[in-house]
Amino acid sequence: MYFWPIRNQYLHPPSQPTISNSHERRSPPLERLSPVRASSTRVHHNIVTVPQSHSSDDALTKIEALFETIVDAISVGSPVAIPYRRSTNARVFNPIASASNPRDGRHMDSVRFPGRNPQELRRFEALFRIIEISHEALQSGTLVTKRNIYYQNMELFRSQSVVDEMVDNLAFTLGVGRNDLNIVATAKGLVAGQVELIMRGGSRINCAEISDSGVLLPSISAVEKIDFQSVKWLLVIEKEATFRTLSASRYYTVSRAGSGILVTGKGYPDLATRKFLATIHSVRPRLLMFALVDFDPHGISVLRTYQYGSQRLDHEKRTKVFGLIWLGIRSSDVLLNTVMTQDCSANSQGSQSSQDLSSQESIAYSVDAFEDERPAKRPRNQRTKSHPSDYTAPLNERDREKAVSVLRDICGTTRLDATEREHKLELQRMLILNIKAEIQAVDDFGDITNWLDERLLEHSRDVNSHQ
Amino acid sequence: MSKQYLTLHTVDQAHPTEIFSLAPTPNTLISASGSSHLLIHSTTTSPTFPLTQTLSNAHRLGCHHITTARGGPGNTFVSVGFGGDTKVWHRNPETDQWSLYWTLPTPDNKKEKGDVWAVALSADEGYLAATTSDGRIHVWDVLGKAKIQTYETGASAGGGGGHDSVGTGSFAMAVDLSRDGKFTASGHENGGVYVFNNDAGRMVYSLSGLAKPIRAVAFSPGCKRLAAAGNAGIIAIYDMQHGEHVANLSATGTRPAWITSIDWNDTGEYLLSGSLDGKVRVWDVARGVCVATHSETESALWCVRWLPKSEKALAPGMGKGEMFVAAGANRSLTFYREATGS
Repeated sequence: MYFWPIRNQYLHPPSQPTISNSHERRSPPLERLSPVRASSTRVHHNIVTVPQSHSSDDALTKIEALFETIVDAISVGSPVAIPYRRSTNARVFNPIASASNPRDGRHMDSVRFPGRNPQELRRFEALFRIIEISHEALQSGTLVTKRNIYYQNMELFRSQSVVDEMVDNLAFTLGVGRNDLNIVATAKGLVAGQVELIMRGGSRINCAEISDSGVLLPSISAVEKIDFQSVKWLLVIEKEATFRTLSASRYYTVSRAGSGILVTGKGYPDLATRKFLATIHSVRPRLLMFALVDFDPHGISVLRTYQYGSQRLDHEKRTKVFGLIWLGIRSSDVLLNTVMTQDCSANSQGSQSSQDLSSQESIAYSVDAFEDERPAKRPRNQRTKSHPSDYTAPLNERDREKAVSVLRDICGTTRLDATEREHKLELQRMLILNIKAEIQAVDDFGDITNWLDERLLEHSRDVNSHQ
Repeated sequence: MSKQYLTLHTVDQAHPTEIFSLAPTPNTLISASGSSHLLIHSTTTSPTFPLTQTLSNAHRLGCHHITTARGGPGNTFVSVGFGGDTKVWHRNPETDQWSLYWTLPTPDNKKEKGDVWAVALSADEGYLAATTSDGRIHVWDVLGKAKIQTYETGASAGGGGGHDSVGTGSFAMAVDLSRDGKFTASGHENGGVYVFNNDAGRMVYSLSGLAKPIRAVAFSPGCKRLAAAGNAGIIAIYDMQHGEHVANLSATGTRPAWITSIDWNDTGEYLLSGSLDGKVRVWDVARGVCVATHSETESALWCVRWLPKSEKALAPGMGKGEMFVAAGANRSLTFYREATGS
C-alpha cells in the first residue's frame, strides 16, 4: 500500500530497431531535419551525477526522537506536545506572541494531546498519523504519496489540502524537506527532450521516446544520473497544451537553436518540477534555461515561482532557478508597433511632414527597452496579417488583484535586480493597458516554432557574444 | 495653415523607469513613473527644465496617474499608485515645496472592491473625482476630506447616482471635470463615455461612438466640448449642449495606434494626443485635421500635456510660443515649443 507505483514506461525502453522506425514514421518536414541527427547511434554522451541528499537519515532520526518523547510523556501520564509550525508564518513568526495566546491551538507552535478543544484533538491525531506513515516509509525505504496518505483515513483528514498543508508544515518544523520524509506528491510535471534519466536501481528513461505526451517527471531523488547528450537549452512551459504541441512535433530535436529539453509543470509549478529544474541548473549551470508563460499576472507568478521560489515552500532546498530567462510572453510581443500607419499630416493640405529630427539623434528604442540604452536588436516584426490587439483580452477584477499582489511581493524587497525590475514594469504595463494575452497570441495559426526559434537563437547569441 | 513645433529640450532618463503620467502647474511639471518617486521640474526658470524637488517613496508600487487643476492656481496635485493608494499634495507658497496633505481612506466595506484608477481635480482645487476599476466615480471634497458623491455606471445605473454599491460597471479608465464645475465625464473599458451633471448629481449623457476601451476624456476649456479617445485610435468630439457626437479626429491608415493621452490647449483650439506608437500629434479641432506630428522614439508615449502659457520667455531671446511635453517608455521628458515669429 505504501509502495511507489511502478509504471511500465520506466521498466523497458524499446529496443533500438523500434527507435529508428518510429523516428522515420514521425519525421518532421525534411527541410528542418539536420542530417547529423538522422542517425540515432551517433549520440554524444554527457553524463552528470545528481547530488544525493542525505537528509532522509536526518528526518528519520528526528522522527524517532519525536516518538521517544511521545512515549515518555504517555508513560508518565503527562500531556504530549508535537512541535508544529506553519511555513507560511515563517517570516512573521513571533514565538512570544503565539505562546501567550491560549485560545485556540492554531497559532501555537505545537499541537497537544489532550488538546484544548476538539479541533486540536483531530489535528493531533492527523499529525500523528502522518508522522507514523512517514516513519514506516523511511524505515522500509519506500516513497508514499500525499494522495495515498489522504486515502488512508479520509474521515480523519477530511480533505487533501489538510494533508498537503500538514506535510509541508511538518517538514518545515523538523527542518527537512518533504522528500526527506519519503513523502512525495503525485507526479505532475512532464519532460520531453534529448536526455536520458538514469534512475537509482538501474532503469533508464529516454525522454525523447514517447513523442507526443512526453514523460512523466519522476521525483528527482529517484534519479541517479542524467545524460544531457547534446542539449543546449531547456524550456519550461506554463501550459500543458503548448508543451504537447511542441513535444509532438519533436521541437526539442528540430529547433534551429539546437537540441533541447521541454518541461511543463502543467500550470502552477509543483515542488517536484521545481526541484527537477533547480537540480539541472545546479549540475549544469551553463545550460540556458528559459520560461514561456502567458502574459498575465498568473503567468508572471508562475515564472517567479520557478525563479525565486514560494514562501510556503521556502524551507525546501534546491527549488529555485535564479538564472531562469524569461523568454516571453511580454508586452512587446503583443504590442507590435503598427507598421503601416501613415502620418495624418501628410494628408492635410499644405502642412509639413513630421518634424525632422535630424537635429537630434532619433534612437529607436524597442518597446521593452528599459535596462540600458542599447538600440533595438531585433528587426521590426513585419507581421501585418492582423493587429496584435486581437489576441489580447482585458483583465478582470481577479487579474488586477493578482497583479497588484505580485507587485507588492516584488516591491517588498528593498533592492531589485534587473530581472525583478522587468517583472515590475511588465506588470505595471499590464495594468495600465489592461490587457493580458496567452502564449497563443504569438503563434502562426497554431505554430509557435518560428517565434521560439527566433527567441532562443537570439538569447544563445547574446550569451555567446558575452563570452 | 500648419503649425510648426520644435523640440526645445529633452530631460533624458528623467525617471529610472517608464513615465506614466504628467501634470503641469503654472510654473512646474510633475511627473510620475513606475518607480516610487514623483519628480517636480521647473518649467519657467530655465530652458533646461531643472529638477526642483523629488518626492521620495510616494507610492511603493509605482504611480500611474497624477493630475492638477487645469486653469487652476497650481497649489494642489493628486497622485494614484498601483496599489490604489491616492494622495493629495499641497504646495507651500512660501518655500515653493510640495508636501503630502492627505491620503484618501481605502474603502472598508467588502462590496467596494475596485481600486482607484484615474483622478481629476476641479479648477478651484476643491473637488477631486476618482474612478475605480469597477466603474464607479467618487467625488471628494478635498478640504473637507470627505466623500460627497458616487456616480454608478453599473447595470443599475442610468439615471441613478446612488451611494450604495449595486452593480459592477466597466472599468473606468479615465475621468475629467469641466472647468466650470458643471460636469464630470468618465471613459470606460467597454467603450462607454458618460457625463454627469454635478449640480443635479446624476448622469445626463451616455455617449456612443467608440466601441473600444476609452483611455482619456477631456473637457474643452470653454466646457462646450468633450473629447474622448482610446484603443480605437481616433478622437471623438461631443457637444455638451445636446450630447451629440459632432466630429472624429483620426490619422489615416488602416489601424491607428492606441491613443493613451489627450489634452486641450488653453484656447480650446488645439488638441494634443499621444499614442502607443510614440507619436504626439497636434489637432486643429475646428478644421478636424492634424497639423503636426512628432516622435522622438518608437516606444510608447503614456502622457502628453500642454504647458500653461506663461507671460515671460524661458530665456532672453527665446520665443513665447505655446509649449507641450511628452513622456513615456523612453523615460525622458521631451519639451516642444511652437515656433513663432519670422
